[in-house]
Amino acid sequence: MTFLRSRGGFIGAAMLLALVLTACTGGPTEPSWGDISVLDNNLILAFSGTILQLNPDDGTPINLYDTEGNVRTDPETNAPRRWEISLGATMRFYHAPLVVSEETLLVASYDRKLFQIERDAARIENTVGVDLPGHVVADVLQANGLLYVPLSEKDLLALNEDDFSQRWRFTTTRGVWAAPLLLNGVLYLTSMDHFIYAIDAESGEEIWRVDTGGAIPSAPLLYNNSLYVGTFGREIVQVSLNGRIIARYSTADWVWGTPVIANNILYTGDLVGNVYALELTNAGFTELWRHQVTTRAIRPTPVVYEDRLIVASRDNFVYWLNRNTGDTIVRQDVRGEVMAEMLLLEPAEGLNITQPMLFVNTMARENLLFAFPADGNGEALWKYPR
Amino acid sequence: MDFILNPFVTLLTFLYRVFGNDMVLSIAVFTVLIRLLTYPLTIQQQRSTRAMQQLQPELKKLQEKHKGDREKLAAEQMTLYRQYGINPLGGCLPLLIQLPIFLALYQAINMALAATPTQMLDTAGRLLIPGLDSVIPLNSRWLNMDLTQAPNLATIGTSIESFIPIILIGLVVLTTYLQFRVTMPKAAPKTDGKPDQAQQMSQSMGTIMPIMYGFFALSFSVGLAIYFIVSNTIGIVQGLIVARGRAKFQPLPAVVTATSTKGGSTSNGTSKGSSTPARLTPSNKSNNSSARNNVKPAAKPSKTK
Repeated sequence: MTFLRSRGGFIGAAMLLALVLTACTGGPTEPSWGDISVLDNNLILAFSGTILQLNPDDGTPINLYDTEGNVRTDPETNAPRRWEISLGATMRFYHAPLVVSEETLLVASYDRKLFQIERDAARIENTVGVDLPGHVVADVLQANGLLYVPLSEKDLLALNEDDFSQRWRFTTTRGVWAAPLLLNGVLYLTSMDHFIYAIDAESGEEIWRVDTGGAIPSAPLLYNNSLYVGTFGREIVQVSLNGRIIARYSTADWVWGTPVIANNILYTGDLVGNVYALELTNAGFTELWRHQVTTRAIRPTPVVYEDRLIVASRDNFVYWLNRNTGDTIVRQDVRGEVMAEMLLLEPAEGLNITQPMLFVNTMARENLLFAFPADGNGEALWKYPR
Repeated sequence: MDFILNPFVTLLTFLYRVFGNDMVLSIAVFTVLIRLLTYPLTIQQQRSTRAMQQLQPELKKLQEKHKGDREKLAAEQMTLYRQYGINPLGGCLPLLIQLPIFLALYQAINMALAATPTQMLDTAGRLLIPGLDSVIPLNSRWLNMDLTQAPNLATIGTSIESFIPIILIGLVVLTTYLQFRVTMPKAAPKTDGKPDQAQQMSQSMGTIMPIMYGFFALSFSVGLAIYFIVSNTIGIVQGLIVARGRAKFQPLPAVVTATSTKGGSTSNGTSKGSSTPARLTPSNKSNNSSARNNVKPAAKPSKTK
């Protein structure tokens, strides 16, 4: 420790401490929670600054192929090249890329950038990206030659798809943390300013707005001509398509994920670990059951599979519940907090899986993605990285 | 930390609602309240630091006298502390108690502002007053800046408002420097003219701390820069109060026998009959009660046989 006795050494040590403190503090370098989707019958996984494709059946990375169908290799090492894009650890994606054409994918990052990806070559077309006037934590919606980009500070942008110029900008007083829902030329937009907005998709003109009383971080669910949202006002709210609040149900804490409805029963979870089953009736919501499944937040939208309801939590577990009673049937340890949406895939033409599978994306880099049998029974089928 | 953090997040959100959704005013009032709450600890720590500083010449003499005999030195130092009523840990303990409070204060501001989805998730379940959810998320816009983001220096010069980030960083540096100067008194120069290591270290801190805080203000959110400025300003005021108490105390010079060296013996048994007159400032109860905790006059110089 003698170096500390010199002035230079002391200043150096203090600067080092400052740098370490900067690195240790949350905020600027905090990782995103990523997203999984399907592209060309493969899984496409976006997390932090990386996007890659995996085989859904066994979790192996997908290789890049040339026009003749041969695996591309690295000219120096002769190793096969993978379909993988890395934009550095400081870039943060909250959503998987969007397919905008046969050749191109599009992805928005939290870092105020929009990137175009060459689909076959897994190459960013413009590595600097297109500047956006705000951060993005939601999906970008593409329709009618427009890209609808929600900004997490405030506002919804409509950009022309061909040159990314701004067509219009819809103003909200707080952030937009979810993609709008497009139905018959009307965008239904939720905002952290407590409002649900109906907006003309072409002109960006407001048609109506309704105050739900709490911030809405997720997209609305459309069911039987009603919109259903969960709010930070500790409520599930049902709104008609003309902007009238039809019913409310009080939850124990904030609701983040979009609810899910199956057989006229709405399922949702809150941020202190409760799960709810509400029957939709003419009188509004009728509670069938509610269970404290865990004490940590249930952020993602629940998944319904046959007679089971699947919820995932920040407590590092995924729970398979009995849909009729809410009792836990089985739970799986994923050794990482689950904040991203889960993905359920069933065997279909072109999709290389032999059984229904549930994919769970965690915050732990060493346990990034798990594949489970959809009914939750048995061990994980695979995990990535292995 | 939750038992500190949750009330802090609740209080900050409550103030936000009371002050008409003004986040900057809420941060300022919140910082003032917390600094007032920890005022007794801060004062105790600063007084203890000053008292220790005053005793430095005596301690140095003891160190020179008992070179090579750590046990004897420790015993003599404790005797000296006792004579002047100083707790050598008096400066550290309040600091240790304050540390989690200030850490929580910083985290509370970050959580309440919640720039990212993960931070927002961390805020969930922390509001202890029902109904406060209705103001979530808090408005983070102020003077065309986002309080959750680091100051943007790229736009400087484009408008008058664009200079605000640099002004804020400047204020952070300035107030940190002033607070350091006010709370850390200059050490007395050594009589032998040699450079004093403690003083050098102190000077280095005086240089590095403002730079470090300026760097933090540049790297972290604007909201945090506002917290630094308000907190430092209160620290300056508190430091001045302590310094004024000391100034009243100084005009009463007294020569005391600070150590029991007269007629004492060293570890090797040789007698060193040197009394140690100190230019210390023992407290005068009738004059200044605030100084009582710092340095107490030796009622009777203790003697060792």
